[in-house]
Amino acid sequence: MTGSYIGKPEGGKLLRLTLDWQDGLIARASIRGDFFAHPEEGFDEAEAALVGAPVAEIGASFARELAARGVKLFGLAPESVAVAAYDILARAKAEKPEER
Amino acid sequence: MAEFRFLETGANPAAFNMGLDEAILESVASRAELPTLRLYAWKPRAVSVGYFQGARDEVDLARCAALGVDVVRRLTGGGAVFHADELTYSIVVPDSHPLARGEILESYRSICAGVIAGLAELGVPSEFAPLNDIVSGGKKLSGNAQTRRRGCVLQHGTVLLGVDPEAMFSVLLVPNEKLKGKLIEDVKARVSSVSDILGRIVGYGEAVPAFFRGFSSALGGLGPLSLPSDAEMARARVLAAERFASADWTFKR
Repeated sequence: MTGSYIGKPEGGKLLRLTLDWQDGLIARASIRGDFFAHPEEGFDEAEAALVGAPVAEIGASFARELAARGVKLFGLAPESVAVAAYDILARAKAEKPEER
Repeated sequence: MAEFRFLETGANPAAFNMGLDEAILESVASRAELPTLRLYAWKPRAVSVGYFQGARDEVDLARCAALGVDVVRRLTGGGAVFHADELTYSIVVPDSHPLARGEILESYRSICAGVIAGLAELGVPSEFAPLNDIVSGGKKLSGNAQTRRRGCVLQHGTVLLGVDPEAMFSVLLVPNEKLKGKLIEDVKARVSSVSDILGRIVGYGEAVPAFFRGFSSALGGLGPLSLPSDAEMARARVLAAERFASADWTFKR
């Protein structure tokens, strides 16, 4: 399934999240916005490493992948990515209650 | 001996501008060149998007094509910028340089001191607004963005010499079209320009010597006006063609 989120978390920059998932696992995560992350390529790698992780654990997984690469975020928190993902899941469930 | 090289490269296409910033980063990283301040402008006008932004999310690509506005992805994070009537600077220093020391907020503040001094030379009072803005009378005049790579800090930023919110929102997309009018009003309320503040037109040609003096006093001296090396120019053209003008890079997100 696919879903998108756009929002401005409290104290953060604009966040856009697009998720593809299958059987509760992330098939693709695209995290976009006007935030900063150093090093930038470490962010790209951490984002790519989310593939295969449970959607429900995206915040913790992303925080772990960023930490493993020493990536520092400004204007974005992994918790906000989790909130965005829960919003996508909730809307998907409301639209198609038989699917997860 | 001057500790900073000073370049002024005039107005160029977006891909070349970003290529030259990266070429300078490489040459400072390899110690082929001194820490460097570059002042520049954009021709044609351009939109740059932040490293983490989606180009299709932020930019009306068809409108840019119709108007001849360049679109480029930066090496740095932050938001989409419409580069029209402005002075742009980039500064590259090694990580070990005093301007790069400390936390990221501290280095933004240190480097932005040069912008603030340049504005003061033009008669515009301003102050640093964390994380990465400069404001005058509470209105934003300058946005700045940093990346740290190859053992160096690259910070580039813009100083608005004039601002045209209608033109800005003709090429930038907004999340909700119904909000466009409100966003234009917001920009008018929150953003200003050197020309607006001084009540007269201040162009790039007048701004360059003011920012030379401002950065020179804030950085402890600049070398004489010079041009990028032949090697940097060649490398900038390669980076422009292979990275910054490529669809792979522009639509990376």
